[in-house]
Amino acid sequence: MGKLKVAFVGNPNVGKTALINAIAGTKLKVGNWPGVTVEKKEATVKVDGKELYLVDLPGVYSLSPFTIEERITRDFLLKERPDVIVNVVDSTNLERNLYLTTQILELGIPTVIALNVWDEFRSLGYSLNLDKFEELLGVKAVPTVATKGEGVKELLRLITEEEIPIPKPPTYSQDLEYFIKKVEPYVPKGMPKRWTSLKILEEDELILKELSDKSAQAVKGILRELESFFGESGNSVVAEERYGFIRGVLKQTLREPVGKKRTLTDVLDAIFLNRLLGIPTFLLIIYLVFKLTFDGSGPLIDWTDGFINDFVAKWVSAAISGLPEWLQSLIVDGIIGGVGTVLTFVPLLLFLYFFLALLEESGYMARAAFVMDRLMRVIGLPGKSFVPMIIGFGCNVPAIYATRTLESERDRKLTALLVPFMSCGARLPIYALFTAVFFKEHQAEVVFSMYVIGIVVAATVGVLLKKFFFKGSAEAFVMELPPYRIPTLKMLWTSISVKLGAFLKKAGTVITATMVLLWALINVPYGAPPKDTILGKTASAIAPLFYPTGIKSWEPVAALIPGTIAKEVVVGALGQLYGVGEDEEEGEEKSSFTQDLKEQVVGFGQAVKDSFVAMFGSFKTGVFEVESEEGPVSKAISKAFTPLSAFSYMVLCLLWIPCIVTLGAIYQEFGTRLTLASITLTTIVPYVVSTLVYVGGRLIGIN
Amino acid sequence: MVSLPFCGEGKEVRVREIKGGKRALERLSSLGIYPGAKLEVLNTKGGPVLVKVGESRIGLGFGIASKVFVEEER
Ligand SMILES: Nc1nc2c(ncn2[C@@H]2O[C@H](COP(=O)(O)OP(=O)(O)OP(=O)(O)O)[C@@H](O)[C@H]2O)c(=O)[nH]1
Ligand SMILES: [Mg+2]
Repeated sequence: MGKLKVAFVGNPNVGKTALINAIAGTKLKVGNWPGVTVEKKEATVKVDGKELYLVDLPGVYSLSPFTIEERITRDFLLKERPDVIVNVVDSTNLERNLYLTTQILELGIPTVIALNVWDEFRSLGYSLNLDKFEELLGVKAVPTVATKGEGVKELLRLITEEEIPIPKPPTYSQDLEYFIKKVEPYVPKGMPKRWTSLKILEEDELILKELSDKSAQAVKGILRELESFFGESGNSVVAEERYGFIRGVLKQTLREPVGKKRTLTDVLDAIFLNRLLGIPTFLLIIYLVFKLTFDGSGPLIDWTDGFINDFVAKWVSAAISGLPEWLQSLIVDGIIGGVGTVLTFVPLLLFLYFFLALLEESGYMARAAFVMDRLMRVIGLPGKSFVPMIIGFGCNVPAIYATRTLESERDRKLTALLVPFMSCGARLPIYALFTAVFFKEHQAEVVFSMYVIGIVVAATVGVLLKKFFFKGSAEAFVMELPPYRIPTLKMLWTSISVKLGAFLKKAGTVITATMVLLWALINVPYGAPPKDTILGKTASAIAPLFYPTGIKSWEPVAALIPGTIAKEVVVGALGQLYGVGEDEEEGEEKSSFTQDLKEQVVGFGQAVKDSFVAMFGSFKTGVFEVESEEGPVSKAISKAFTPLSAFSYMVLCLLWIPCIVTLGAIYQEFGTRLTLASITLTTIVPYVVSTLVYVGGRLIGIN
Repeated sequence: MVSLPFCGEGKEVRVREIKGGKRALERLSSLGIYPGAKLEVLNTKGGPVLVKVGESRIGLGFGIASKVFVEEER
């Protein structure tokens, strides 16, 4: 036998992805909110010489889709017909989960049930008569705990060793069965008969559309008959019958706990969803995320900075002193000065990813959407749109894909246009660089203000777009709020390492390439002062355009343009532009390689200690002293900017075209028109806002 | 019979009727909210309505929640 195609299907947030990760050792994205997986993902494993092809699908509550991601699941099941379906259910919510199961059983595909989240099921005090449960549903079921790998072996054994039978679909009341028989002849060829018949009775639009005119006519008649017989729409009738069947099964098999316990979730929700405290708590949490990110990573950034600029640069220069001068310049100025500056900020991203993973895994994400619903409605979006926006704080690209969980096309487009204003991790290095020079005392506050400005701008743009382009109102808020869960370290680490890996890959490819290109632009003709090079001339020519925003020199403009490729490039470019011409202060005291290395190691230990002190030592920021000498970049920046124009430049970078990959995602999801709209928005808006900041600041006497 | 947003918080209720279009109906029933289902009302003011269906908590915006008519159990 060849490959076995196994599809994992179930409600959102029941642990389908976690289960696949446990089986195949993959690192697919898991998170504690509904709608993490928004596209089909695959993994392969070999079990006893048999190759299994596992397919992770977006979670669905039924096989009648409301969103694009739900459509992916349905299409896969109908068109690609997997060999086996693993129906993953959340054991603590069997009634609701089995609603989908009844539909799956009608597809005529061999199915097994994974009773996941079995740990919580037990601790809540439930119990299940497994044999009876299997008998009544006519399929095999295995209790699993995906996060701990429990039950995975048994599940695999079921899939690989036994011939899984095609399940017998549930039978409903005689009256309904009569109507099912009646529509059966009109089921289009190639569609599973019973499943499709029921979908027709449920008035599933996608199926009704596929019927020929004649069939459609006949079916309409049957639906009318059904409606007058039951006194309800076919949709309600079938739903009630399905639940009737499920309740029958559960009555005989499930024992519910007696008496209710107040759970952790009840306690936390009383605070996080409180009508008065909800929003302030949200703001506090976001503030803490950025405060801790900054304070914690500060000392480590200083260390990395020193490590790259003093240690790596020094010894690499020494090692390559035999090479032609231009090549040395390319390596030292272009690659170490450019890419190195970007890599300096790895600790920053590490901390950011850690705290975002904490938000995603704890279950708070869905709560943020819940409390923001009322505010979001003002800008014409449902609270659910807030999930992609928070994801956008990490990276805008997955945020664009995350819009797939929104029901209406209008909401999706509007959200995608606003996501780029959410300050992503790649923009943090820019703030770190500038705040370290100009706002040392209030780093976290100034950076926090960037996020707030991003949100306020998004809200304002949202209101305007709603008024002129996206009329109508947002889709109703319907969202499941998962229980709070304490994230395991392993999960957090997976999440962080995947993101960090992606960042390093980006640094090694796109950013390095851009830096080399930029080096060429700055150095042709070689040896000329930067201002007379190709880039210098071009940037100088357009620089006057930016005068109103307070940027009076050409270098920041020259950095912003390649920054469109990836935002990290801005700091790298500044590193190169200001590094060039500044001759390295030679003549440092001579030290040996091992001496230097030892110094770095000791410095690292100190940095880790400082990081802890900075994070937990006090609630206020700025407890750590910046120890490293001011680098050439910082020095140049402090000359070229005033605090006000630095702030204005940060705002410009915040709102400026996010990056080429985000634009690519928008193009892929929405096409040319929306991409152009996004580019227009993210050039005009930043220009206007920065100008307002600068002119406004000058008017009230700030410099 | 009252509509969901006007229920007392902390009450256990049973769904009697859903006065909505096909779409709303299908969505709610797939989430376990259908005529005959038992719900616990957790939160009705200051944002979406929050109900507990079995062990799951579901947030419903005012518009869709007001289509769900329920009767108090106790
Ligand atoms: N306690 C417990 N938590 C679990 C178990 N399986 C998964 N989880 C947690 O449940 C959450 C959802 O897991 P995912 O694997 O992302 O769920 P999914 O079904 O892929 O969700 P979508 O992609 O949104 O449809 C995560 O926080 C997991 O850590 C389990 O067996 N026990
Ligand atoms: Mg998933």
